[in-house]
Amino acid sequence: MKKNYNIKHVLLLLMVVLMAASCKTEKVLPQQEALKDVSGSWQVISATRNGTDLAALVDFTQFRISFDGTGYKLTNKLPFIVNQDGVFTLDDPQYPYKITFTATGGTAVSTAFTYPIVNGKRQLSLTFSPGCSNNSYVYVLQRVN
Amino acid sequence: MRSNLHIKGKKLWRACTCLILGIMLACCGEEITGVDQPAAATVGSTVPITVHINIPTAGNGGPDYLIFGFLVPKGWKTAQNAKITYNSEALGGGVMTLLTDATLPKNGGGLTWPAYMKKTFGIGANLIDDMEWVAYQSEKSYTHNGNTFTGDILINLKVGADNNNTLVKLGYVITDSGNGFTSDSNGTYYSVVMSKTCFEVTGGSGDLVDFCNPQLTIVDPPKSLDNDFVTLTFDGNVADTPLSGKNELYLCATAYTSDGKTIAVCEQTDKTKLVQTSPTSKRYRLTFWPKAFFNTTDAQTITKMEYFVTDKAGTTKVGYGNTLEPFVYTFKCG
Repeated sequence: MKKNYNIKHVLLLLMVVLMAASCKTEKVLPQQEALKDVSGSWQVISATRNGTDLAALVDFTQFRISFDGTGYKLTNKLPFIVNQDGVFTLDDPQYPYKITFTATGGTAVSTAFTYPIVNGKRQLSLTFSPGCSNNSYVYVLQRVN
Repeated sequence: MRSNLHIKGKKLWRACTCLILGIMLACCGEEITGVDQPAAATVGSTVPITVHINIPTAGNGGPDYLIFGFLVPKGWKTAQNAKITYNSEALGGGVMTLLTDATLPKNGGGLTWPAYMKKTFGIGANLIDDMEWVAYQSEKSYTHNGNTFTGDILINLKVGADNNNTLVKLGYVITDSGNGFTSDSNGTYYSVVMSKTCFEVTGGSGDLVDFCNPQLTIVDPPKSLDNDFVTLTFDGNVADTPLSGKNELYLCATAYTSDGKTIAVCEQTDKTKLVQTSPTSKRYRLTFWPKAFFNTTDAQTITKMEYFVTDKAGTTKVGYGNTLEPFVYTFKCG
């Protein structure tokens, strides 16, 4: 009888120890969201005007916008948010949803943009109105390889 | 060979059909019984329009509000320039208030009332998509209790806020807030009337905006600036022109700039070539960026463009209304 009593004690103790040992503070690794890097040269891969596809109507193959540091440069210009080279900023380098272009000697122009990965490639989708505010354009850009 | 259809008791059948149709129409759901609309007006004048309505109700639904939609050119800024009231013996009188984007129709699939109207009824027989539906709602509601309400919707609209002479086919629709553009066993809960005739606005200093008649050339978007892409389409189906039968067409255009200069681009090259949309469509189009097309400086803006469509030799040309007067397009947003 006494022996049994002892075994019960030992088992209880063992359980407490095991349970205590199983409690472990899990350390959450600080997952740093990567900074969105838009540097490089981008070309238009699709474009719409008021929902109408412009790809078959306009030659977009020569247009380039390149981002380098804080500056951007336009080559073979087309209607765009800005018409001159200048500087750009992202509102939040980790989770940007707005890009601001400031052409040299001009005022800052902001536009909403998305930055999805499609088929393993980053895309830059910009919505803007270069002419009348009622006319809305969407350019989807991809980095030039 | 022609065979005549003989139906015994033709008159009786006709009478029966009319009776059945009459019963169906008289059953349930909102109905526009007529529209009193003047044929013409001058820019800036206030036009009275009366829409006669009849609302037979059934069942015990509601209370719902009366919804009214008005199809008008965007340039008229109707939301700011129209005052709409209603008058009905059974319902009393009241104001139709403008529906904002915050009020979504029950069966509109997430669209706003104006978008729901445009999706359901389009722009009627108008040819330029620069029109909008403006939606209103009655102050008071009514229940579907078997009663019939008749009344009028009274519109006072100041026309031509864009100062353009206009030819347009206006449109009217009514429904109720509980059903929208739906039908069920009780009937059809909406009624739409699209004008067959053109309402004319005169006395403006702007361009003629003709929504009614097919045009030899159209510019898309209808309102744009020199920093937009514009698509110019020449429609060879509208009329026989000196260019009929020619299959290579070019644009010959002159730009007028803000600093008083004129820039002509009249050449027959790839830059000015109108491409046929499909091999037999007879519709030729060219999309260009006016700033680059006319090679303006950064300081210059293009205020308007006059143009002709020519053949490959550049000798045969067609202008406005199939004459030798140029087509005119003014770059503006309003």
